[in-house]
Amino acid sequence: MTTASDVLSAVQSAFPGAVLESRVESDRRLWATIDSNSIVDVCKHLSEKLNFDHYSGAAGVDWIARKEMEVVEIMASHGAHQVVAMLKSKTPRENPSVKSLANLFWNANWYEREIWEMFGINFEGHPGLYPLLLGDELVGVWPWRKDFKGYPDLTTGQRAVERPTSEGYTEYFIPPTPAEIEAGTVPKEKPKYPSFREREEKEIKSDSEMIMHMGPQHAMLPGPFLLDILIEGERVHKAFLDMGYIHKGIEKIMENRTWLQGLTYTDRMCYVASLSNNECYCGAIEKILGLEVPLRAQYIRVILEELSRIQSHLIGTGEFMTLIAGVGYAPWNFMIIDRESIISLIESVTGARLTHTFVRFGGVRNDLPEGFSDKCRSALKYIESRTKEYIELFEQDPIYHMRMENVGVLSPDRAKRVGISGPPLRATGVAYDMRKEDPILVYPDLDFKVVTGTRGDSADRIDVRLREILESIHIIEQCLDRIPAGPIKTETKVPKKIPAGEAYYRVEDPRGEMGMYVISDGGDKPYRVKVRGPVYATLQTLPPLLEGVYIADAVAIAGSMDGCPSEADR
Amino acid sequence: MGISDVIPVPVAVDEEISKWTIFGQPVADVWFTTTEKIHQIIEMGPIKNIFNWGRKNSVYFLMQPMGCCGVEMFVFGAAPYDCTRFGCMPRNTPRQTDVMIISGYITRKYLPVIKNLWEQMVEPKWCVAIGECAISGGPFYDSYNIIQNTADYFPIDVFVPGCPPRPEQFLEALMNLQEKIKQRKDKRGY
Repeated sequence: MTTASDVLSAVQSAFPGAVLESRVESDRRLWATIDSNSIVDVCKHLSEKLNFDHYSGAAGVDWIARKEMEVVEIMASHGAHQVVAMLKSKTPRENPSVKSLANLFWNANWYEREIWEMFGINFEGHPGLYPLLLGDELVGVWPWRKDFKGYPDLTTGQRAVERPTSEGYTEYFIPPTPAEIEAGTVPKEKPKYPSFREREEKEIKSDSEMIMHMGPQHAMLPGPFLLDILIEGERVHKAFLDMGYIHKGIEKIMENRTWLQGLTYTDRMCYVASLSNNECYCGAIEKILGLEVPLRAQYIRVILEELSRIQSHLIGTGEFMTLIAGVGYAPWNFMIIDRESIISLIESVTGARLTHTFVRFGGVRNDLPEGFSDKCRSALKYIESRTKEYIELFEQDPIYHMRMENVGVLSPDRAKRVGISGPPLRATGVAYDMRKEDPILVYPDLDFKVVTGTRGDSADRIDVRLREILESIHIIEQCLDRIPAGPIKTETKVPKKIPAGEAYYRVEDPRGEMGMYVISDGGDKPYRVKVRGPVYATLQTLPPLLEGVYIADAVAIAGSMDGCPSEADR
Repeated sequence: MGISDVIPVPVAVDEEISKWTIFGQPVADVWFTTTEKIHQIIEMGPIKNIFNWGRKNSVYFLMQPMGCCGVEMFVFGAAPYDCTRFGCMPRNTPRQTDVMIISGYITRKYLPVIKNLWEQMVEPKWCVAIGECAISGGPFYDSYNIIQNTADYFPIDVFVPGCPPRPEQFLEALMNLQEKIKQRKDKRGY
């Protein structure tokens, strides 16, 4: 079994002098600062020789006191080993620039675009540094830098100046804040780049092609994002995706809240998976503190996270049914009715339907109520029978199969390469699940199998979700049998100021791999929280997947991905 | 314009008819008049109440999830809470809707979009702000990308606090809106 120290020694022997600093946190985590000139070579070596075939994301950090910026590349493997390598490369704060990995890993594109628009770190050799989340007017002010003067901004709405465009649409111009003007941080020269509209119009090659907008408000979309498809007749030639319509700047806000206050924001990143998000944030902080979570609290967490997974899959599948079957409103209504029984179960423990803030550092907020176990078992029995019915229904319906089979097929290799995770990846047959891969809490003791598909098409993605519900029910039943009595919080008092340190923690969100990279500088607020969400990767995969399909299939493919733009935009 | 100008009747009849009134308006004006005049009369008379009765019982809302409240809006529109019994239904295009539910944070980038959606809706239309974010920015009030004063851009009739509000509160908001329409106390004055 490859461990982190094996990887470190392999890199050190292959590139003498390239590793400037290194820390082996555990068998599964490697932290290394790599010489910024050789970062591309090291990453190439890792992916080709050492099985690091999963480029998981990148984070930018602004070290204003040290006058330098850092780009942290997160590298992992699809099951060959469990090591996650966090490779940092440093660059001076004046004209920051690092080498791009976008030519090496396809999915590095979006992560680097995000870092560029938020920190102003230039990526040499990147195919197109365009803003992704921010509106045009905010590009060039680099909002996630520590010296950004536009935060807090309490007058955004009052400053908005309405102006009609030549096409008759309403547009708004929001001038910079007085603080920004006074500090002189308003950029005099904005970066030059073609707008989203110009970029997509450049792709029109003949008169018979046109662009069709799906969004930002569209029946298909679970939240606002813009999917533009370039069509000729019934065929989609190319797809373009624009997001950031609900970019709230959660990562910036969390830097300005205390550690515990930050927890409420994790709820609101993806509101149907808020317990997993809580778990991810708390887990990272527990790792920094070295806290041991009591066994009972671990079981409670697992029970609730799996319940949350069930309700998320139900709403995701239900939404998808409304999309492919116009009048197929019935399955949606049935699934929402089933979901309500789970929601009321979660509500009886946490007191909230969606935004729980339930998981706490070193435990949970409160114990399970009396009689929870019986109520849970009866509800699960009902859900189990219903889910089996749905699976049977989908299996037997010939129209559904004709509509969904071999639509939006991802091959295992391609799915790995594009960095997708969760049910869409497992539908291709790759058994990649954080609960097995990077086990947390009591998951190693539990008996469950990773559900996989065979074809990797839209039908399989739905099938995997439904069968995962059954697997989750199995997990919860085991937990209910085994849950011990005892405390639900650690004995150790959690300090207000978290000691300096950093941690990367991964959980299996209902939608895929969710990771949080938390840095503390010893203060009462996080220095930086980077969220590596699963939907970001899913949405990035969507445009190439839509090339060459029919327009009607575009909806079936996008719906089967179960994207949640709120989490992607953050 | 009198009736004698159009139909050859004795002037005496014309004079007699010009004395007749309906809701304080000369009858002749109602007979030979423009749509605006008819609207004016509808405004004054009890016919408006019948109109508003119909409007209040068919408030279709725009399915436009924006945040956590959007998920509760899904549930509110589905079977468990069954908003259809109040004549309220989710619709997917702004051209078929009467009510816009602002169900989350409005960002800089989304403000023009949502304004366009609002402008695409046909009259009569109403607006409901659901959740803290739609009222004041909620937990994201100090972000660089969030609009705090939604009420300056949209004539919001009902504000529903909560983060997110329960689907029952959606129902209450809807019934408040219906009561407002019935009493002609809504912002746009239908």
